[in-house]
Amino acid sequence: MSNESEIFQKLAQSIWDFDPDAAAAAAKEALAAGIAPARAVEEGFSPAIRELGDKFDRMEVFLPELVMAAGAMKAGVNVFEEAMKKAGGSLANKGVVVLGTVEGDIHDIGKTIVGAMLSSAGYKVVDLGVEISVPRFLEAADEAKADIIAASALLSTTMLRQKDLVEFLTSRGKKEKYIVIVGGAPVTQEWADKIGADAYARDAQQAIKVLDGLMATRRA
Amino acid sequence: MDLSLILKRSELGALTTGDEFLLKSVSMNTMRLAREAKLKFDPQILVNQDDEAADRLFQAGRQLLLETGLYCTSSRRVIRFSERELDERLKCLPGQVTVGQGKELHTVRHRGVEDSAFPTIFGGPFNCDTDEATFVKFNEAYAREPLIDILFFPGYLKELDGILIRPGSGLSTRAAILYGRYAREAVMRAGRPDMPIAGHAVMALNEIACSSEEWGLRSTDPRAMVLISELQVDDVTLTRLVYYKSIGAPIYMSFTPLIGGYGGGPEGTAITAVASVIASTLLGGDFVHIGPQHIKLRVQTNQHSLWLSSIVNQAIARNSQMIITTSHTTAGRPGSLQFALEFSALAIASVISGSNQSGPRPAEPLGNNQNSPLMCRLFAEVGRATTRIDRAKANEIVLALYQEYKDHLDLATSPRGKTFNELYDLNTLEPSEEHYATYQEARAKLLALGLPLD
Repeated sequence: MSNESEIFQKLAQSIWDFDPDAAAAAAKEALAAGIAPARAVEEGFSPAIRELGDKFDRMEVFLPELVMAAGAMKAGVNVFEEAMKKAGGSLANKGVVVLGTVEGDIHDIGKTIVGAMLSSAGYKVVDLGVEISVPRFLEAADEAKADIIAASALLSTTMLRQKDLVEFLTSRGKKEKYIVIVGGAPVTQEWADKIGADAYARDAQQAIKVLDGLMATRRA
Repeated sequence: MDLSLILKRSELGALTTGDEFLLKSVSMNTMRLAREAKLKFDPQILVNQDDEAADRLFQAGRQLLLETGLYCTSSRRVIRFSERELDERLKCLPGQVTVGQGKELHTVRHRGVEDSAFPTIFGGPFNCDTDEATFVKFNEAYAREPLIDILFFPGYLKELDGILIRPGSGLSTRAAILYGRYAREAVMRAGRPDMPIAGHAVMALNEIACSSEEWGLRSTDPRAMVLISELQVDDVTLTRLVYYKSIGAPIYMSFTPLIGGYGGGPEGTAITAVASVIASTLLGGDFVHIGPQHIKLRVQTNQHSLWLSSIVNQAIARNSQMIITTSHTTAGRPGSLQFALEFSALAIASVISGSNQSGPRPAEPLGNNQNSPLMCRLFAEVGRATTRIDRAKANEIVLALYQEYKDHLDLATSPRGKTFNELYDLNTLEPSEEHYATYQEARAKLLALGLPLD
C-alpha cells in the first residue's frame, strides 16, 4: 500500500513540477506495480491538476503553469493509453473532445485554457489549434471517434464559422452524432440557440459542467 | 528601424513553434525578470506612486524584448532586435504625430506623468457591432462631441442585406468600403469633414478597401493593426503595416496584455506590456494602444488592470518619447452608472500616468450599437480633470470608484445597459432625459470624490 501511495505521490508531483518526463516515468512505475491506469489517473494525476485548476480560478497560478501541467499529464496519460492499447483496451475517459478556434481567428488562449481544464476533468482532448476550417473539425472528430466538437471564436466577425459548422454537420447527417459546444468572448447562449449548437460555455468551468451533463444524458 | 529589415527577419529568423516561444521564451524570461525587477502589486496602490519601480519595469520590458524578440505566427519565425536598433529607434522618436486635415488637424503627443497637457481623446463606437441603418447616425453623434479629437473605430458592420459577413469575403470587402464611406459621411454631417478617423474596418486583410482620399479613410487618418498576446505578429498585420506605411498613414498599433496569461500575474504582464509597446514602436507604430485585459474577468477595470495600466504608462512616459493611449472596456454597459464609474477609474489611473485615452466600450456588448457618445463626453471630461490632480489624489479617487463596482464585474450579472437606439433620439441625436440624468449622476459622484470636472 505504501508503495502505491508513493507512486500516486510521484504522479501528482510530476504535475506540480510540470515535468512530462517525470509524469511518464511515474506512469510506467504505476503500470509495473500493477496499478490500474484509470485508478492511477484518478488518484495520482487528477487531484493535482484539479488543485492547479482551482488555483488558476483564484489567480494564484497562471496560464503557463496550467498549460505545462496539462502537458505533463498528457505525457503520463499517453503511457497508460499505449499500455491499454497493447492489452486490447482503452483508457476510460468522460468523453473525447475535438477542440479548435475557427477559421479566420488566430486567438488560442481561451481555447487552450478550456482544453487544459477539460483534460484535468477527465476528458480526452484533441486540440486542433487555431484557424480550423469547418471540414477539418468534422474530419478530426471522425478520426478521433469524438463525442464532442468544441469551437471557439474570439471575434464577433468569426462567430459566423460556428454557424457554418452546425450547418455543415447537419448537411452531412452528422449533427446528431456530435455534441457541438461553442464559446468565445462575443458568443452568447442566444447565439448558440440561434445557430442550433447543443451547448454554450462562458468559460472552462462552465464547459466542464455543461458537458458532464450532456455526456451523462448521452450515455444514460 | 527600416520595415524591410523586419519583413526580412520574419522570413529568415529562427524557426520555432508558438508553444515554445510563449512557454519557454516569453513565460520563462518574464518570470525571471519579474523577480529581478522586484515589482509588487498592492491592492491599496492602484495608481503607481513609485518612480523607481516604473523605471525598473521599463528596463525589464526592454530586456524581455531583447531576449525573446517578436514571433511571427504565420512564418513561425522569431524577429529579433539588437540593442543598438532598439536604443536608436527610441532615441529618435519625435514625441508627437499629426493626424487629420484642415481645421481638424490634431497633434497627438507623448505625455508625461502628472502632465498638465490634455490627453488626446480617441472616442467612438470602439468596434462594437453596428448595423447599416444606424451606422452614420451613431458615428455622427460621436463626431458632434467637441471633446472627441479622433473618431475611434466606427464599428463593425456585422451583416449586409440580411447576410452575416464572413471575414475575407467579397461581402466583407463591400462592408469595408461602406465603412469608409459611412464614417466619412458621419463626420461631414457633424460639420467636421476633416475629422481624423482611426479605422479598423473588418478583421481581415481586405480592411484596406476602406481607404479613399475622396470618400473614405484618408492617408492622414490613423490606421489600426494588432499585435497578438504576447509579443506575436502575423502576416495580416505585417501586410497592413506595409500598405499603410506606404501611403503615409499614421500607424495605430494595439495589443492587449493578458493578466493571468503567458506573462503570469500583473507584475509579469506589466513587463510583457512594456516589451510589446517597444516592439510596436520598432514595427513603426506612431502611437500604441494598451488594452490591459484580464484572463478571468475579461474587463479592463479590475484592480490588476488599473495598476498595470498605471505603472506601464508611467514606465513608458518616464523613459521614452513613445506615445501611448489606453483602451477602456468595462463590465457595466452604457446606460448604467457602473459603466461611467468603471471607465472613469481606468481613465484617471491611465491619464495621470502619461496616457492618452481610447474608448470607452462595454467588454461584452449585448447586441448592436451598445455604446454612448454622451458617456464618451464624460470620458473626455474625466481625462481633462485628471490633469489637475496629482497621483496621490488620483489613487484615492480610483480606490473609491473601484470599491463602488468591484463586486459587479462578472459579465454574466453586470448591468445590461441599453443601446444607442434606446439611449438617444435618433431624429435629433440628443440623449434621452434618463440617459442625461445618469451622466449628471456620474458627474456628481466624481465631483464629490474630489475630481475637478469643468
